[in-house]
Amino acid sequence: MSTINLDFAEELKEYSDDKALECFNCGTCAAICPLVHDNFPRRMIRYVQVGAREKILENSDELWRCLHCGLCTHTCPREADPGEIILGLKRFVVANWRRS
Amino acid sequence: MFNPRDIIETLANNVRQTTSPFGIPKFMVNKWYKDVNLPKEGEYMLITGLMYQFAPFIEKSTQYLEKYEGTKMASLLKYARYMPGYLSGIGLAMMTSGKEKKDAGQPLKDIALLLKKSKVNFAYRPDLDNYSGILLYDMGDQKGFVAHAKKIAQKLKDAGVKKIITVDPHTAYAIKELFPKYTGISFEVKSYFELLDLGSKDLGLEVTIHDPCFFGRYLKLSEIPRKVLGNLGITESEIRNKGEFTSCCGGPAESISPSLSNEIMEKRVEELKEPGKPIIAYCPICLGNLKKSGAKVEDLSTLLVRHI
Repeated sequence: MSTINLDFAEELKEYSDDKALECFNCGTCAAICPLVHDNFPRRMIRYVQVGAREKILENSDELWRCLHCGLCTHTCPREADPGEIILGLKRFVVANWRRS
Repeated sequence: MFNPRDIIETLANNVRQTTSPFGIPKFMVNKWYKDVNLPKEGEYMLITGLMYQFAPFIEKSTQYLEKYEGTKMASLLKYARYMPGYLSGIGLAMMTSGKEKKDAGQPLKDIALLLKKSKVNFAYRPDLDNYSGILLYDMGDQKGFVAHAKKIAQKLKDAGVKKIITVDPHTAYAIKELFPKYTGISFEVKSYFELLDLGSKDLGLEVTIHDPCFFGRYLKLSEIPRKVLGNLGITESEIRNKGEFTSCCGGPAESISPSLSNEIMEKRVEELKEPGKPIIAYCPICLGNLKKSGAKVEDLSTLLVRHI
């Protein structure tokens, strides 16, 4: 069972200019991503939107598959900056490791 | 895929201890300038960020990572962060061939020559030329990156540097965009090809250009090398993904997953090989990664020097 954390968006502010709520889940980012892998980065952005903090930590290895190539950010029709969201999540996970 | 935490903590530890992500002492990495007579003072300071110099060490370490990815040995990487940075760095430096290390400096000598030919007033001081910390930023070690960037930026500021020439897209992005944001210290930053004035020729050549993501999208500079080539009569082949829509070479994934990096690289090489023309890269990471495919790839500076 997954739990959600309603304060997660607030927690992420420390790590990036999070624009995840701008995303309307069109999937352009996942379609253009060179990884073509399991709805990446769309699924991670959805997790941010619903506050699925633990899901992100459980699947955190996936974040480092990102090449930081910027194609998703360049093509996002909502200017939600998916690349920056993923980078912010990496920072959040690294900080979490170091705290634990 | 390796455990990202093992890779990140090892790189972060190395940067903290040695200022190099590979732990290699700078005097063993940065030697190219010894064969070139460069002034210590000038309008611009040339900052290579050591990325071209790191290329053979990246290749060597990736060869080992490739060997152990997906095996039981991969889990041993978690102990690497406890090894003193210099120790592992010197080991890596000794395992890398002298020829590869020397060859890695050639694009820098070529760039210095191109700048001289263009009558750019620039200087080089090896003591000020340091790694920018960009890998820590990309990997999400924000604290590590900011601490490192502050030291590097302050050193440049204290030396009175105001204008900088960079040679690779990662260092250019770090100094131009990230240093002002995270260190509060700004410089006027130009990529070397923005300053080139090599006259005009009618060479009638055609090449295929691979734009690095950071020059194509993040810094939006990919039109400038085309103008420099165009002035010499060198045109580009049409490929599907270029300029702002360029495709990644796969290089950024090579430490976390060499197999993923190869998969992305092979797709990109297919596109680049399609026109059947020589391939030109202008980033040391792209250059090294694309070369692994066996395709004929050379640096922009190498091509330019051959034709001036």
